[in-house]
Amino acid sequence: MRGRVMVDEDNDVVMTEQPRERGRERRKGRGLRLGGRGESMQQALLNDEEEEEEGDGGNDFTPLRSVEGWIVLVSGVHEEAQEDDILTLFGAHGHINNLHLNLDRRTGFLKGYALIEYENFVEAQAAISGMNGTKLFFRTISVDWAFSTGPFKGRRSSSLAKPRHKAIS
Amino acid sequence: MAATEEDNGEFYLRYYVGHRGKFGHEFLEFEFRPDGKLRYANNSNYKNDTMIRKEVFLTPSVQKECRRIISESEIMKEDDNNWPEPNRVGRQELEIVMGNEHISFTTSKIGSLVDVHSSQDPEGLRIFYYLVQDLKCLVFSLISLHFKIKPI
Repeated sequence: MRGRVMVDEDNDVVMTEQPRERGRERRKGRGLRLGGRGESMQQALLNDEEEEEEGDGGNDFTPLRSVEGWIVLVSGVHEEAQEDDILTLFGAHGHINNLHLNLDRRTGFLKGYALIEYENFVEAQAAISGMNGTKLFFRTISVDWAFSTGPFKGRRSSSLAKPRHKAIS
Repeated sequence: MAATEEDNGEFYLRYYVGHRGKFGHEFLEFEFRPDGKLRYANNSNYKNDTMIRKEVFLTPSVQKECRRIISESEIMKEDDNNWPEPNRVGRQELEIVMGNEHISFTTSKIGSLVDVHSSQDPEGLRIFYYLVQDLKCLVFSLISLHFKIKPI
């Protein structure tokens, strides 16, 4: 069996709040009955890498620059917002190189998030500080960096991530 | 919907679609790891193409958005019992751990909604069909914004 059987690996899990009853985990699907990953072999290709070093904990992260700029995620975007609305609002904080405003494939309306590329860190930071928690079409939006330089932890400590990784490889 | 469970609980996602044919094992796979790492692989031997692999760490906000997409789809309520089995045309695998639920669904490739409607579980398969497209869309945006030079 090579499925990631989390119910087996929770002995060392450090829970700060209420303990979650992992033994009662609900599991479904042929993939699990077949032993986790079916018969595909591709996982070897994804999983042959060494583990990353652990960071210092906490929820803090350092934003990571992308090839052509700094990517900012906007979530809580109203499904009927238009590209122009986003460009106008967020363009006020700096020059926008690129905007991905993806659609819900079923409804054809917006999926609810936007990815914005700013050329400069300072502009992206200004957009995050200035726009996070504000309202767009009566909906509160969250604005944050999209990429970070390393793993995040906080509540989900690496003690969980570790055995998971081992189970995959 | 239990927002706290979805926001704070365990999270892992892996999607695979692929087949073996005259260009070898052609597949696309991506994975959201619990620590925020996004891994992406795309392989084809067509015209001696080589495998594309990309990895980058996401912020908790991006993972949260991914969770939202999954919980709103209600895929965790479905089951792949009556979905078409993987076949020679190809296979798809979707594995998600969220909160105390763990699904690992497998099915054949889905060409269009016609395949969905003609299956034995059109409602469930339709959810899978759209969710996969929405997830791919998110991953392609993330990967292309982070790694690719914008085409002129």
